Amino acid sequence: MEINPELIVAQGLTKTYTRGSETVHAIRDISLDIPSGSYTAFIGPSGSGKTTLINILGCLDNPSSGSLLIEGRKILGGDRPLGEREMTRIRRERYGYIFQKFYLIPTLTVEENILLPCTFYRKAESEDRLNELLTFLGLEKRREHLPGQLSGGEMQRVAIARALINRPQILLADEPTGNLDSARSEEIGRLLKELNRQQAITLILVTHNLELARTADRIIELRDGRIR
Amino acid sequence: MISIYTVSYKNLLRKKTRSLLTVIGIGLSAWVLASLLGFNQGYESALNKDIDNMGFQVLLTAKGCPYEAATLMLKGGTGLRYMKESIVDQVLSNEEVEKITPMLMHAVFDPNKGESGGITAYLGVDPATFPAMKSFLEFKQGKWFSDPEAMEAVLGYEAAELEQREVGDTLLIPEKNAEIRVVGILKRTGTQDDGTIFLPIRTVQRLFEKTGDLTGIGIKVDKNANIAQFEEKLYQLPDVQVVSLAQVKQTILNLVSTAKVMVASIAIVAILIATVGVINTVLMSVFERFQEIGILKSMGAMPLDIFKLIWIETLVLCVLGGGIGIVLALGLSQTTGILIRRLLPYAPTGSLITLNSEIVITTLLTVVLIGLVSGIYPAWRAARVRPLEAIRSEVA
Amino acid sequence: MMIRHAWMPFLFLLLLGVKSVFAAVGCDLNDPDRDVARLFPGSTGYRTSYASIDKKGGEPLLREVEKRLGEPFQGLFETIDVPYTIYEVLNGTQVIGYIHGVNQKGQYGGIQVFLCLDPNGVIRNFYFQKLTSKAAKELRSPEFGKQFIGLSLTDFQDYDVVSGKAAAGSSVSGIQNPVPEAETDFRASMRATKKNLILMDVFVFHPH
Repeated sequence: MEINPELIVAQGLTKTYTRGSETVHAIRDISLDIPSGSYTAFIGPSGSGKTTLINILGCLDNPSSGSLLIEGRKILGGDRPLGEREMTRIRRERYGYIFQKFYLIPTLTVEENILLPCTFYRKAESEDRLNELLTFLGLEKRREHLPGQLSGGEMQRVAIARALINRPQILLADEPTGNLDSARSEEIGRLLKELNRQQAITLILVTHNLELARTADRIIELRDGRIR
Repeated sequence: MISIYTVSYKNLLRKKTRSLLTVIGIGLSAWVLASLLGFNQGYESALNKDIDNMGFQVLLTAKGCPYEAATLMLKGGTGLRYMKESIVDQVLSNEEVEKITPMLMHAVFDPNKGESGGITAYLGVDPATFPAMKSFLEFKQGKWFSDPEAMEAVLGYEAAELEQREVGDTLLIPEKNAEIRVVGILKRTGTQDDGTIFLPIRTVQRLFEKTGDLTGIGIKVDKNANIAQFEEKLYQLPDVQVVSLAQVKQTILNLVSTAKVMVASIAIVAILIATVGVINTVLMSVFERFQEIGILKSMGAMPLDIFKLIWIETLVLCVLGGGIGIVLALGLSQTTGILIRRLLPYAPTGSLITLNSEIVITTLLTVVLIGLVSGIYPAWRAARVRPLEAIRSEVA
Repeated sequence: MMIRHAWMPFLFLLLLGVKSVFAAVGCDLNDPDRDVARLFPGSTGYRTSYASIDKKGGEPLLREVEKRLGEPFQGLFETIDVPYTIYEVLNGTQVIGYIHGVNQKGQYGGIQVFLCLDPNGVIRNFYFQKLTSKAAKELRSPEFGKQFIGLSLTDFQDYDVVSGKAAAGSSVSGIQNPVPEAETDFRASMRATKKNLILMDVFVFHPH
C-alpha cells in the first residue's frame, strides 16, 4: 500500500539557532528523498550543516521549519515540534546509529554492549539476532571481552552490532571511520556496503572520508547549509 | 540476557574507590542509626528487666533522706531509718496489693576487711513471702531457708565467692561473733542480688536488736490496679517514703532522653552527610557519562529508562551500605553497648542495645528511602540529557 | 512533685547498683594506688597484668600446680579459670618487685592473702586484705605477718598443706600460730601463702 516509494522525504528543512546576537542558519530549505534500501553519503566541510541535517533525518532533532516524512507519514515539522518521547519511539523502532567515538560502556562485555538497546526496547528474537551479528561481524570469539581488550576496528564493529540488534530500517553513520586508520576504515566501509546490499538496510552516512563516501550510491555535498 | 540492573551495577564498578567510600559512608550512618534504634529499645527493656527482677514495683522505706542510706552503704556506720512492722498489715488492707514482703537491712562494720575495715550488709527477708516474689532466682546449690528464726543464710553468687562459702559452711557475723550456716547459693543474676547475704528476717531482728523494725517493704501491685492512685494512698501513711519504680524508671528515662537526643542528632547529621555523599557520587558519575547517556537515548532509551538506571545505581549503593551498617551494628553491639554505658549516668545491667528483625528492617528501609530520595535529583538530571548534547560535542 | 522525685534515681542506684560495692571479687587490691605505695615502700608506680592457669597452660599446668601444692584444687571457687591480678611494682622504669593475692577458704569466710615479693621471689611483706576469723585480730597483727618476711617458695616446698606440718627445724616450722583455737584459719593462711608462691613461680618467675 505504499503510495510513496521513498522511505524518507524531507521538504524545505531549515534549522536556525542563535549564537549571541546573530541568527545562524545551520541548514536552509533542504528538500531531498531517500529511497528505501539506498545508500546516501553526505560530505562537506565542517560547518556545512551536514551533522544538523543528519540529526533531523535521524529524528534526533526538530527542524525550525519544513517537514520530514517517513513512509509518507509526516513525522517532524508542521504545526508542532515532536516531543522527546515520540521521537524516541520512532528512533528505537526504525533507526540504528553509529558514531565516530564508539561509546561502548567499558564495564560491559561485548555481548552486553550489543544487547544494551534491548534493555529499553526489545524485539523478541534478540538472542538469535545477536549470534547472527556476531558471526557476520566476526566477533564470535570476543563475546566475553571488555571493550578495553579490543582494537579500534573491533570496537566499531561492536558499535555496528549494537546499532543493528533491533533490526532497524535505517542505519545512520556519523563519521564512522573518523577514529580509525585507513585499513580499518576500508574494512568498515566494506561492512557498511555489505549491510546495505545484503540486508537491504537504508544507509545514511556523514563523512570527511571521500574514499568511504564513494562506496555510496549517491553523494550529496553540502555547503553553507545548502545542497550544492 | 542483560538487564538494567546489570548495567547499573557494573557502572558502579567503574570508579571502585569512589563507590566503596560512598558505601562505607552509608554503612557508618546505617550503623549509627541501627545502634540508636537498638539502644532506644534495649535501654528501656534492660531497665524494665532490672525492675522486674526486683520482684516488686513499689518500695516503702522509712522516712529520712536516702542519701544517708547511700552513705551508710558505701562508707559504713549506722544511721538506717526504721519503720514499724505494723505498717505491713495497714498496707495489706489495700485491695491493690497482690503480694507484700517485709525487709530489714542491717550493715555491720568489719574491721578485717581491707586496710581500714569495710562494711558487710545483711538483708533480712521473710521466707514465707520473699522467695515467692523473687521466683526467678535460681540456686547453684541448696535452697531457701524455711524457718524465719533459723541461723541460716542464702548467699548471692558474688557474696559467696568473696566469702568462699558453699552450702554447709559456716559464716561468721563479725560484730556479733554469731555463726550462721550457709544453706543456699544463688546463681548469678547480674543484679544487686549477686552481692547480697540473705538471712531470715526474724534472725536479723533478734541478732541486731531490731525486733518489730523494718527498713523496707516490697509491694507487688495487682495487675489491674491503678498504681498512681495506690501510691497516693501510701503517701498518707505516717513516716514512710514511697519509692515507685515506675516513677524512678520515668525519671531515669528522662535523664537518658537527653543522651538519646544527642545520639539522634549525631545519627541525623551522619545520615545527612551520607545523603549528600550519595548525591555527589551519583551526580559526578552522571556528569562524567553525559555523552554515554545521550547515546543510550539515541538508541531508544526513554527518559524514564535513564531515570531508572541512575536510580538503581543509587539504590544499590544504599542497600550495600545499609547491609554493611547492619552487619557492623550486629557485630559491634557489645562494644557499642560498653561505649554507651560509659557515657550514661546510669545504665541497667542487661544488654543496652537490642537489635531485632524490626530494627534491622527499619534501618534498611530508612537507608533505602534515603537512597531513593537522594537519587531523584541525579536521576532527573540524567533523564533530561538530550541525545544531541552528546553528539554535538563531536561536531566541534 | 519534682522535689519529691529528684532523689529517686539515687535511691534507685542504691537499690540496683549496690553490686559495684561487692564486685571486686577475684583477687584485686581494693585501692591499688594507695595499697601498692603502702605495701612496697620505695615504689613509684605499678603495672597490672592478669593471668589464669587456664590461659597460661591449661589442664597440664593445673596438675603441676596441684602436685606442687600437695593437694587438688577444691570447691566451687578454686578453679582453673580464676583470674589472678599481678601488680608489677616499679621504681621509675625498674621492676622492684611484685604484689599478688589469692583467695582461700577459711573456717568462717573468705581469706585474701597478698604477698609482696622482691624480683627473686623472696617475701618482703605479708598482708591479709580480708580475713573472716575469730582470731582475725591476732592473725592480722604485724607480728604474725613479720614471720613470713625473708621466706620464699624454696622454704615452703616441703610444707605439707594436708597435715599442716613443716620439716622440723626448717624456717617455715618457725612460723607460730598465735591462737591455737584458730588452727584451721592458720593452716588456711599457710596454704594460701604456698599457693600464692607457686602461682607466682609458674606465672612470672619460671613460666613454661
